[in-house]
Amino acid sequence: MLLGESRILTALQKAAKSSAADNTLIAAQRSSRKTLRFSGGQIHQNFQEEEITVWVKVACGGRLGVSSTCSLRHEAILQAVRSAMTIAQASSKGPIPSFHTGQTQGPAAVPETHFASTAHFTLTQAVDLIRSLDAWFLKKTVGLAGSFVFGEDEMAVAGSKGLAQYRPFTIAGLRLVPTSGKSSGFASQTVRNLSLLNTEVLAERAWEFCRLNKNPRSIPTGKYDVLLEPEAVAELLEWLSYIGFGAKQMTERTSFMAGRMGEKIMSRSVAIADDGLDPDGLVVPFDYEGTPKQRVILIDNGTASNIVYDSHYGKLQKKPSTGHALAYDEAEGPTACNLFMAPGQTPYKELLGRMGRGLWISRFHYVSGLLKTHEALMTGLTRDGTFLIKNGRVSAAVKNLRFTQSVLEAFSRIAAVSRERRMIADPGHGLSAVVAPALLIKGFSFTGQTK
Amino acid sequence: MRKSLRDLLEQTVKLLKRRGVDYADLRWVEQLHEEVVVQNMHLQHVSTSSSEGVSIRVLYKGFWGYASSSRVDAQGLKNTAEQAIEMAKAIAIGSHAKVSLRPIESVRASYKSPLEVDPFQVELQKKIDYLMWANHVLKDHDNIKTATSTLEFFQTKKLFCSTEGSLIEQQITESGGFLESTAILNGEVQKRSYPSANSPSLGQAGYEYVKALDFVGQAARLRREAVSLLRAKECPAGATTVILMPDQLILQLHESCGHPAELDRAMGMELSFAGGSFLTPDLLGSYRYGSKLVNVTADAALPLGCGSFAYDDEGVQAQRVPIIREGIFVGYLSSRETAARINRTSTGAMRAEGWNSVPIVRMTNVNLEPGIGTLQDLIRDTKKGILLATNKSWSIDDRRLNFQFGTEIGWEIANGRVGQVLKSPVYTGITPEFWGSCSGIAGKWEWQLYGVPNCGKGEPIQVMHVGHGASPARFEKIQVGHSR
Repeated sequence: MLLGESRILTALQKAAKSSAADNTLIAAQRSSRKTLRFSGGQIHQNFQEEEITVWVKVACGGRLGVSSTCSLRHEAILQAVRSAMTIAQASSKGPIPSFHTGQTQGPAAVPETHFASTAHFTLTQAVDLIRSLDAWFLKKTVGLAGSFVFGEDEMAVAGSKGLAQYRPFTIAGLRLVPTSGKSSGFASQTVRNLSLLNTEVLAERAWEFCRLNKNPRSIPTGKYDVLLEPEAVAELLEWLSYIGFGAKQMTERTSFMAGRMGEKIMSRSVAIADDGLDPDGLVVPFDYEGTPKQRVILIDNGTASNIVYDSHYGKLQKKPSTGHALAYDEAEGPTACNLFMAPGQTPYKELLGRMGRGLWISRFHYVSGLLKTHEALMTGLTRDGTFLIKNGRVSAAVKNLRFTQSVLEAFSRIAAVSRERRMIADPGHGLSAVVAPALLIKGFSFTGQTK
Repeated sequence: MRKSLRDLLEQTVKLLKRRGVDYADLRWVEQLHEEVVVQNMHLQHVSTSSSEGVSIRVLYKGFWGYASSSRVDAQGLKNTAEQAIEMAKAIAIGSHAKVSLRPIESVRASYKSPLEVDPFQVELQKKIDYLMWANHVLKDHDNIKTATSTLEFFQTKKLFCSTEGSLIEQQITESGGFLESTAILNGEVQKRSYPSANSPSLGQAGYEYVKALDFVGQAARLRREAVSLLRAKECPAGATTVILMPDQLILQLHESCGHPAELDRAMGMELSFAGGSFLTPDLLGSYRYGSKLVNVTADAALPLGCGSFAYDDEGVQAQRVPIIREGIFVGYLSSRETAARINRTSTGAMRAEGWNSVPIVRMTNVNLEPGIGTLQDLIRDTKKGILLATNKSWSIDDRRLNFQFGTEIGWEIANGRVGQVLKSPVYTGITPEFWGSCSGIAGKWEWQLYGVPNCGKGEPIQVMHVGHGASPARFEKIQVGHSR
């Protein structure tokens, strides 16, 4: 059950107004989740958790202080305000804090973010769902591991000069990993509206990968054309965001976009944007500073175009905040976390045929983008389905492979982009997502094999 | 610990017994965190946070139920207890595989991790001054574009109470930090970090621990090495002898030994997220994991270790458990439930990130036991090879076999001597082949312990603090350099 706009905002506003600081910003996030994890015919972990975090940011005499608490009680928030002020008073003067605490004009219309179908879903229904999936896979004589998560979030921000933002959210996610011997498959879906969860499609996709993944064989390392499923593309996009789309990485000049704004760094078919209001993703209309999320075009026709800002980095770079501030105790800087890669013209079903010979990859595992961030050089492994394609058809399952590849170079060799896209998100978090198409890429570099 | 809190928990245990649970435990947890970041001589970030709540885990008619809440009063605990029972009842429907726990001895104990100076009592200005001083030294070169110095402190208080009669109070304080210098020249970007990269190295100790890290003394070396990397030769590719310094070897241990030795992974309970393990139970006691020199121990009672405690989060006493003995796989990190499934007793590795997360099998302090001799001995005995230090990137497959690690810096070794600096080194391998090629481990005088604060596992993901110790070690015929 939601605590509600009135209860949360009243608590935050009351504390913000009581603050003796020059400027006070208070954000709260309340989350409740039920999680069921299953494998081998058993639900082996089932738990519900409920938490609230309240972050306080104050400016006193040009100094900044940050604190947090896990209670909405007035005394607890005031204590956090006092802690933040103590920090501010002890801090040296830096760039003058510039966060906004007055009323903000948000977008005229925000898509729905809270759905009764999810909010009223019961534990018993969740158990039934898992049991029916178990039975479905049992008929296919494969085992099933996975997780089902559902719950609600509330996010609110109040400022000492009248800022007041509140939004409730629902979230649900199903992840399926069928296994048979050493072969496995994968499918997942995260939704705000549980009535849109398509378990049949997910089960079929996961089963198809598992079925095709029998008796995987080793192939030589080297360059292969690849068809990356949206899950694999999403992982690369998340890493691009982490190492390059934020103002912190640009300021520190470790981003692959540093010094290259306006230059073509990828294929012209690549367009990547961050958009907290697009209903195809997980809509989040404002950030932890209460700033309405702007649509930011990060890569436009393959050209490095824009990055995202919060108030701090906006001030440093003389730009307005784009609404991408994280919680105040995070030191990561502004982050693009509602990513969209533009779809292409090619129907998904035609991609394998277009590839002719190459590798079809269901998803990546344990990608690291820290090798050379200024080149977006990444490494990682394939997981739960890697297939050798000949003449546009699956010719054999392949043992998992390690890639080591500059994503800038890979995204400069895109041969086709699917018309269809999937939204990939972690339901445990619920406020960030990637919407990605499938990509056909020429000459993707594989550098290692698994056993 | 407040008496009223103990009473609350004990009353809830009585309530759960009346409700007919087979077993239940309650964990009250309060966590404090402070972080101070100085970048390019500006105080970039200071924050404090606190969090408090209770989790209740019940085994009801053979099925687990778990709930948590930040409402720590009689009504809050009663509601949470009922939610946990409802969770257990819900999954019992249509299920047959019941959980049974072998009873363990009840414990009434109290533990505080040792410290000299409580870091939460140290004035903020003193911390800022320390970081500023180190930052000044770190930044003192035109090519150093970003110099960052960070301190972090954690304090966790726990009260564990179970239907078996245990009442365990623990307080653990951790201190740590790190330095990072980023040098840039003509588009070349190189970093050096100390004592570890990307996150602080923590120790279960007080403020004395961060002073002993000697940030100011280390900053000049770091700055010099970062600048030297700008003009360094690219690490050559090929199979060669590799000597790993402890600040890289600990990540190798973490990924290729610690995670595969988690029994829940080996049983498929993490397949939907973190993955499985090649160390399956049928291999226990006979599988050759590494050379005879390789001895790996999980030690939850190691002083200073970030994975240390007196009792784990289901009341099992901290243990020192051999995982690899003379190269043979001999033990798991396990819980009461998972250990029982292979007819063993728990090795005491059940840990939760906080009050709002369910305990799962985690690493404690997973250490490579020291060998003999010194780093210099290892280098002297190496005709041609590479010395690698400080982890930069890490990646390993879902069964923990194929790994690739990048380090911040390398040095050529030729005819028993360390030569020129090498940039962007990467090495790759298959876990048992890699450990099987171990040809030397330096002795205990070079053994160093690190605290890793960012081990991720579970759904929703839980971030755990774990410890790893190692001396420098040498490995033969390792594939170095990355193909493009």
